[in-house]
Amino acid sequence: MTRMEEFKQYPWRLWSRQFMTIVRMELRKSLFRWRSAWIYLLAMAPVAIIAIHAVVDHHTRDGMREDVVVLAAIFQFYYLRLAIFFGCLGIFTRLIRGEMVERSLHYYLLAPVRRELLVIAKFVAGVITSVMVFGTAVFLATAFMYLHFGQKGMQFLTEGAGAYHLKAYLGITVLACLGYGAVFLALSMVFKNPIVPAIVFFGWEAINPVVSPLMQKLSITFYLRHLSPVDVPAQGLFALLTVVTEPVPAWAASLGVVALTTGVLLLACYRVRKLEISYTTE
Amino acid sequence: MMTTAHTPGSPVRAGFARDGVVDDRIVFENVSKFYGDVLGVNRVTLSLPPGITSLVGPNGSGKTTLMNLMTGLVQPTRGHITVLGMSPGDPYEFFRVVGYCTQFDSFPRDVTGFEFVYEALLLHGLDAPQAAKLAVEALERVGLMDAAKRLVAGYSKGMRQKARLAQAIAHHPSVLVLDEPLNGLDPMARAESLALFETLGRQGMHVVISSHILEEVDRISDQVVLMSSGYVVAEGNIHTVRQEVREHPMQILIRCTQPALLASQVFALDSAVEAKLHADGGGLLVRTRDLDNFYELLNRIAAEGKVEIQAVAPADDDANSIYQYLIGSDGGNS
Amino acid sequence: MAVYKRSYKPYVGPLTAISRRWLVVARFSLATAFSSRISVVAFVLCMVPPLIAALIIYIANNELVQAAMQVKSSGALLINNRFFVIVLEIQSWLALFLTAWIGPATITPDLSNNVLPLFLSRPLSRLEYIAGKLLALAGVLSAVTWVPLLLLFTLQSQLSKTAWFTENWYMLPGIFFGCWLWIAVLALVSLAVSSWVKWRIIATGATIAILMVPAGFGGVINGVLRTRWGFLLNVPYLMTLIWTDLLRVPLPLQAVPVPLAWVAMLSTAALSLVLLTRRIQARQVVRG
Repeated sequence: MTRMEEFKQYPWRLWSRQFMTIVRMELRKSLFRWRSAWIYLLAMAPVAIIAIHAVVDHHTRDGMREDVVVLAAIFQFYYLRLAIFFGCLGIFTRLIRGEMVERSLHYYLLAPVRRELLVIAKFVAGVITSVMVFGTAVFLATAFMYLHFGQKGMQFLTEGAGAYHLKAYLGITVLACLGYGAVFLALSMVFKNPIVPAIVFFGWEAINPVVSPLMQKLSITFYLRHLSPVDVPAQGLFALLTVVTEPVPAWAASLGVVALTTGVLLLACYRVRKLEISYTTE
Repeated sequence: MMTTAHTPGSPVRAGFARDGVVDDRIVFENVSKFYGDVLGVNRVTLSLPPGITSLVGPNGSGKTTLMNLMTGLVQPTRGHITVLGMSPGDPYEFFRVVGYCTQFDSFPRDVTGFEFVYEALLLHGLDAPQAAKLAVEALERVGLMDAAKRLVAGYSKGMRQKARLAQAIAHHPSVLVLDEPLNGLDPMARAESLALFETLGRQGMHVVISSHILEEVDRISDQVVLMSSGYVVAEGNIHTVRQEVREHPMQILIRCTQPALLASQVFALDSAVEAKLHADGGGLLVRTRDLDNFYELLNRIAAEGKVEIQAVAPADDDANSIYQYLIGSDGGNS
Repeated sequence: MAVYKRSYKPYVGPLTAISRRWLVVARFSLATAFSSRISVVAFVLCMVPPLIAALIIYIANNELVQAAMQVKSSGALLINNRFFVIVLEIQSWLALFLTAWIGPATITPDLSNNVLPLFLSRPLSRLEYIAGKLLALAGVLSAVTWVPLLLLFTLQSQLSKTAWFTENWYMLPGIFFGCWLWIAVLALVSLAVSSWVKWRIIATGATIAILMVPAGFGGVINGVLRTRWGFLLNVPYLMTLIWTDLLRVPLPLQAVPVPLAWVAMLSTAALSLVLLTRRIQARQVVRG
């Protein structure tokens, strides 16, 4: 039998059905439960503030120029470094390590599902969850930030630079969810307590602008920061310490994140084969 | 099946077909499992035929480890395991025929009893209507249909046990592995579960049960595997295992009209170790090393007509006795 | 069943005083928290900055050493209230991470293993249970905050050739009360988060997120609404402000009023206490 024939012989239909079942189950757990309320709060809190701003602002001409920078700062410093980071930390560590802690992972391992398929399906569900929640939040934040300027705002958002900004922010959100998700899934497959290395990673991302150019490349925020359509300069002492580097092309950043995600998924598929259930040591 | 002579200190084997992989058997080939420095099981070689096999042993003897090894939840440090010729490495084929009711009293959050069983069936690749039908069937079989729409978090211990059992049997497996399945069940539910296991065993399924309730193990098991400190101490049919435990003479209870006279006759046998009158005065408890000779003597006495023998039955031919002899503590009747 | 032998005798030996029984909870919580090597390493690392600060104080007060190191006694070696504010900030961040690690370890095992009914069926009230956990955390955090800071203050007072103590005595109560406020907030937030999240590995991340994310959200409020009231959500910033005020360092221009900072911090502590007491129950009701 040739490789192609062998390939066709695989039970693709069964695998796709099982894949969809796992994705549906995970989405139900993470999107439509009370205990997922914190993700929505994390994502939508700035949207609420921006909505208040839309009501109380005087809508001056200079106001929109300022709002562009404010939105960029909110995206870079709140969404990218805090909300998406902690949101993905909670979503992706729960996939495998969280289920081990809750002692429910063995139900999956006792089902006739390939373990690699299980990990990939869970990861995809995590990405869908994080992209849906944070993508929606970023979209709403951007819309509320400009629409209250009336016709001018609408034009800016649909035909002007605002449309490009929105696409860029959504694209960065997707890449951030993929990149952080991959990192946290990897950490939860390697470490029993992935939170400690995650906090170290958080610290590393925080000090990234002040390390050497070579070390700066070992960071997800480094690539995503350069994809931002609006530059938000550092201020004060931070500005003195920041090491300015050459921006990375969008295609290279995107490819890098996708390559990282693929590498992590391969590692996760390898590790999950050897995974043992030993709840008593958790 | 071949019977081997028992050497003190070595495992008692009352039947072991040593012909490699057998398709209708669960086979452990020299399996060891270490958790770091802690021994789980060591050099276990077993071949379990269809029927009901009970794993018996004190806490920490390796019963759960053996079950986890059998179902792929842990990997052996050494050795090889096959279940009906399949390895846990191919989950699709393997878990279609294996069902495992674990001892872990934990569930996915926020699921009802029905959802718990239904979602497990969906993972088998079944379509929704078929999965729902099988889920209902399994829940009815364990008597949990009334509470199926309630959250599992609100179930009592016995109900949670039933939910796990329902999930294990829902897909009609050929091999059912049950880790202390009677825990938390009231006597009626226990009797119903045992009846269910018996039915499944008679239908040719492999049913592997671990339990501390030795009377019930006695009643339903076709074979028993005794474990202690990670080693298999004895394996096989209870009666045959008992006969192999030669350092403990067999106890026989003889109901008769003149127990004292019978006792004087019994001491003619060299192999009779002890004869004790039963407390109610209507019988004699004899301990003998040579069962065949003793039965011959009993036949002669009955033929001579001096003593009217009403009943003869082994008094320690049960799991509890074997447990005490080989492992050395009370089986924890609960 | 008739009782023939009345051989059972209850314990009649000495008993711990009722007022001290709750200390058992603190003792065992500490033992659990420090059973992990990471906790011990983290605790030791928290002592490094005070040691470095002690070295700086020594060098700043020793002209011979300055001459040998060719270092001039300048702004960098000026041991004043700003110096202590900087050391306090460093120690407060270290205390935050230490609490995020140790706090969940003291309470999540009791909740996830359903041990609360065992505790609360003894002569131990919910408040005593919480007080025991708080005491364990307070002890650890004291050792990394006000204790080394007061020792540094004493060292500086001793080594200084001027009447340094009489000029700077106000720092003593400032450091002490400021640190206790920080300890209270950290301990209560950590225990409250851990009691709601129940699983240790998640509780550590959640504790840090609860303290950091509102700070970011406060920045959003400030940026979007062009105001400064968003700082009231920034717990680390508020604490720095309080220390700056207590140690009489000039406040930044855009700072929120210090009394409001105190109110915000105390409200955070109070809210955490309410959430914690709601969770510490001997039974759990599941509906549905």
